[in-house]
Parts: sequence; structure tokens; C-alpha cells
Amino acid sequence: MNKIETLCLLCSQPLPSAISWEILLTKQFQSTICDRCSARFEYSSTATALYHYNDAMKDYLHHYKFLQDVALAKVFRQELHARLKYEKATIIPIPMHPTKQRERTFSHTEELLKAATIPFIQLLEKTTAETQSSKNREQRIQTAPLFRLKTGAYVEHKEYLLFDDIKTTGTTLQHATEILMNAGARNVKSFTLING
Amino acid sequence: MKYKGWLLPPKLRDFHEGRIWLKEYTPFSKKDIEKSINHKYFNVIEGIQKEPHLKCNRCHNDDPQQFTTFDCSKCQQPCVYCRHCLKMGRVSSCTQLMIWTGPRAIRTRKHSLKWAGQFTVHQQQAANEMLESVKAQRSHLLNAVCGAGKTELLFPTVHYALEQGLRVCIATPRTDVVLELYPRFQTVFPQTIIHALYGGSPKQEGYAQLVLATTHQLYRFERAFDVMIVDEADAFPYTFDETLQSAVQKAKSENAPILLVTATPSHKLLTQYQNESYSFIPKRYHNRPLPVPRFHSLWNYEKSLKRGKIPRKLKRWTEERLARKEPFLLFFPKVELMKIATPLFQLLDGSIMAVHAEDPDRKEKVLKLRHEEVPGLLTTTILERGITIKNVQVVVVGAESTIFTSSALIQIAGRVGRNADFSDGDVVFFHHGITIEMDDARTKILYYNK
Repeated sequence: MNKIETLCLLCSQPLPSAISWEILLTKQFQSTICDRCSARFEYSSTATALYHYNDAMKDYLHHYKFLQDVALAKVFRQELHARLKYEKATIIPIPMHPTKQRERTFSHTEELLKAATIPFIQLLEKTTAETQSSKNREQRIQTAPLFRLKTGAYVEHKEYLLFDDIKTTGTTLQHATEILMNAGARNVKSFTLING
Repeated sequence: MKYKGWLLPPKLRDFHEGRIWLKEYTPFSKKDIEKSINHKYFNVIEGIQKEPHLKCNRCHNDDPQQFTTFDCSKCQQPCVYCRHCLKMGRVSSCTQLMIWTGPRAIRTRKHSLKWAGQFTVHQQQAANEMLESVKAQRSHLLNAVCGAGKTELLFPTVHYALEQGLRVCIATPRTDVVLELYPRFQTVFPQTIIHALYGGSPKQEGYAQLVLATTHQLYRFERAFDVMIVDEADAFPYTFDETLQSAVQKAKSENAPILLVTATPSHKLLTQYQNESYSFIPKRYHNRPLPVPRFHSLWNYEKSLKRGKIPRKLKRWTEERLARKEPFLLFFPKVELMKIATPLFQLLDGSIMAVHAEDPDRKEKVLKLRHEEVPGLLTTTILERGITIKNVQVVVVGAESTIFTSSALIQIAGRVGRNADFSDGDVVFFHHGITIEMDDARTKILYYNK
């Protein structure tokens, strides 16, 4: 995963290769997509997400999650790193159901954080293999608990930050927040890559 | 023989014969696949070959840049996958590919050829030469000018091969060409099961002895075809992407001949074939000369379009076509420029539309032009070849751009005057300076007309 990309990960156009002094000295990640592709993404106006969902994001998620292109976890590493490097709360990525994870071969939330070199822990586990995207709004809101605490997990009385790829109705994040709060967390915030 | 309680579903055999397929993505049940593997009907190989160097066993990509390693949750260890053919379903170290080695599908030898057309002398000669080559299992290059009737020329050869019980593939780098060829072959070979394969093609039933496919789809075949025809053998990205060329080699059986068909062969192809199996058709099927492109200067067209103005000469040309109700194509070097120009042209006529490679409606838009529902289209080079529209008139805006090589320009000019009733038409190269490629294209067209 640490190799230097010479072609844009999204459109395969050659990337300007020279490593600049600015990138070296400010310890930034090398860019993995070209300017034209990155211009297609829209920044979010909210404080709890980086991007706004649009066609470019739809394509991105399709390639990353459905076509299982793990390399695309690197696309947003600079932005994610900058946003989360000073985060004081303990970061917990939303987990996948073990069966689902074996099917997809990777956890998309964990890979995003790994690519951005952001440390995280895992206290939760998913109870169902159902997907949220297969349900409509009412079904999502009325659904049974999606998560439980991992066996042996200890929730401290401190602040946690839940991380997910996309927030649509917020049901997933709400469920996870509830579990953690009930287990004794002081406060639970959430942050997503994309706001739906 | 003892009854084993399981019979090979013919559908499974018909689908998998000749294909190299991801085990997880087979459309058949797990049980049938396992049974077939137990019967040694499949050769199962690993997706990514590690020794002597990384190589994808499906698309034969071996560029280390195109592989990614990650911690796999399925195989619980570092896993490598190929990004080159990712869109066809991911091939990684822990996936397996299956190649059919079981009984062969039943091939019929009854194939009727329903075509009443007449060949010209040139065409007949080329068709004969090509047929001879196939009979001798020899590769062949057919060089024929645009509109020489290359597709029709293939009919006798394809018919002969099908009747011999051979499996035939017609591959081309362009999806548009597959879409254009498919209905034509269906009417000509009404008894034959034909499949058209391209990115996003629907599921098709039965065992196809004739396959029309984009060269990309050939990644999914291995030693499948006894005759391999490559149409438009010089088009992007075939000449540019070496794995596509190796895909053609891989998809055919060892001794199968390759027939290359093109209007603009590269120098390399010519030297390779010219002395042995080579046919050349300098004339169109209606024997009328090829339209010769006119050069017109269009200084600073890009600036002018960006300022929201269509350059005067271009505007006059378009208005003339609109007034005479002649369909037209305007070729642009870049999508961005085309998008800027589209609303300007729509001021002249609201129904003018634009197509580019990623346009989901590109099929429909071309059909609309053919059915005279729209007066004209703005396009990038995607429509440079393979399409036939009656009485179409063509303009290249910015013919000096590097994307317009001489072969691209010859192809574009070749869209005009293909119909016997409208054998003449206008081809204008509007330019900001004349390039060698433009001169070369014109010289070649003039040479063919001699």
C-alpha cells in the first residue's frame, strides 16, 4: 500500500511525478489522483463530514466498495489525516459484519483510516449482515440494534469519535452511539467521509 | 458406466467453453461447479501468478504499478490484486480462475448466409484471398479504404468457417463498432447463435459459434476461437495497450489464423504482411472516389469559443447544413471544448446534441442522427470509425490537435459519401495551422483516388 502512484488512481492519467519540497518538508502524502479528478469532489459545508455526496462520490464508492479496489482508500488520505491528526477522542470505525467483511475482503472504514495513518481501536461488532442501503428510510429507523459491544471490550468514561464512510439518515451512527453511551462513554461524536 | 447421480448441465458447458472465469462469479450453482471440477472438467488456476514475476492470469498484465497489496480478510494474509482488469470482477491472489477442459459444446454445421449483395471486382478478389488464407490457416491483413464494404467482405469467410464447425470471433477495440456489426450479422446469419460482448452487455443464452466482442472482453477467453478477426485493428486503445494485443493471441487457439481488417494500417503491420497475405482495396464499393478534405483556417477558434462565439466560417458552414437539412458531425479534439461549444450550437438549432465516450445515451443519440431526428452531433473522436450515416457531412474543429493523427483524419473523412446515392459530401478540416498529419491524410486519400 505504500508504493508511489505514477498514474491517477481514478482516471489512469499520468500524475505530475516530481516530489516538491513543500510535500517533503510538511510531511504531506503524495497525491494519488489528478487535479481534474479531485476537482469533481465537493467539500461538505458541515463540520462532521469532509465531502458532499455527488456523482463523483457515487463512482468512487462503487469502485472502492463494490469493485473492491482497496487502493482507493488512499485517495482521501491527506484530507483525512489533516482533519483527524489532532483529534483527542478515541477513534472507532464502524465495523462490518464478519461475513460481509470476508466477502468484501476488507473493511472500508478501517482501510480509510489506515491509509491516513490515523490510529483507531475497535469496541463494537455488527449483529446483522443486512445492509442499510437495501432498506428505505422507515425500515432504517425502526430497525433492531445493529451493534453490540465486542466481548471483553471495555468502554472508558471518555470521549469517542465514530468514523464511517457515509451518513445518509444517521441510523447506523445513532445505534453505535447508543451502545457506547449506555456502556459508560462520556461523550460520543461522529465523523464521516461523506455527507449524503 | 456407473450412474454417478449427476449430469453435466449443457448450459454450463456452453457458457464456460473457451472462457477463463472467476470461480466466484460463475452464473451456475456451487454444486454443479464443484461436481464439474471433480470430473476434471475445469482446470483451476490461481488468479495472480507470483513467479517469476507478478502477472494477472486473466488479462496477462505484468506491470508492477498496476498491482496493489493489502491485508485480506478472506485469506488472512497479504493479498495482491490486479487493477488493470478490475472492472470485470477483481482477480486477487486468493481468487481462482477456471478454464473449461471438459466435453466440447455441440457445434452445428448448418449456417445459412442470407445476403444477396454483389461484390465489385476488387472486393471479390480480396474476399477470395482472405478465404484462401483461412483455409490455409494463415494470418492475413486486409487494407481497404473507408466505405469499401469491409464488413460484407467478411461474410464468405465467416460463413465458410462456421460451416467447417469452427468458432469465430470478430473483435474490435470499439463498443460502437460491435453495436453496429451485431444487427448486420444477425440478419445475414439467421440460423447462427451470435453473441455480442462489450462492457455492460446483457446476458445471452446458448453456445455462440460466432462472437462479436470488444478486444477488452477477450481477457475473459482462452484458446477459444479457431478464427480470429480483428476489425479496425489500428484503433485506440488496441495499438496503445499491449495487453489487448496479447489478449487476442490468448483468446484464439494456437494455430488459429488472425485476420486484421483496417482502413489505416500502421507501417509495422504493412511491412509484416505486405509480402505474404495481404489484400488491398483502393476503391469504395460504389467505385466513386473518396471525398477529399478541404483545409480551412480557423484562427484562435478555442479563444473564440470560450468567449461564447462560434467562429464565422464554422457558423456559416453549420447554418448551410441546417438550411439544406443535411446531417452533420462536428469533431472536437477535447471533451471540455466540446462542452463549451454545445450551448452555442444549440442557439442555431435547439436539437443539436453532443456525444462523448462516457455518455450513457451515446447509442440513442447516434440512432437519432441516423433517423434524422436531430440535425447534427458534436462529438469527440469516439465516432471516428465504424459508423455509417446516409449523406453525412463532416467537420473537424482544430484538426491540428495531436489527437487527430493521419489515420484518425482518414477515418473521419471516411464517414462521408458511403452511400451510393450520396457518394459525394463535404469534409472540412478547420485548423489553427496545418500539421504533417493533416497533409499526410490528404495525400493518402488522393493516392487512393488515383
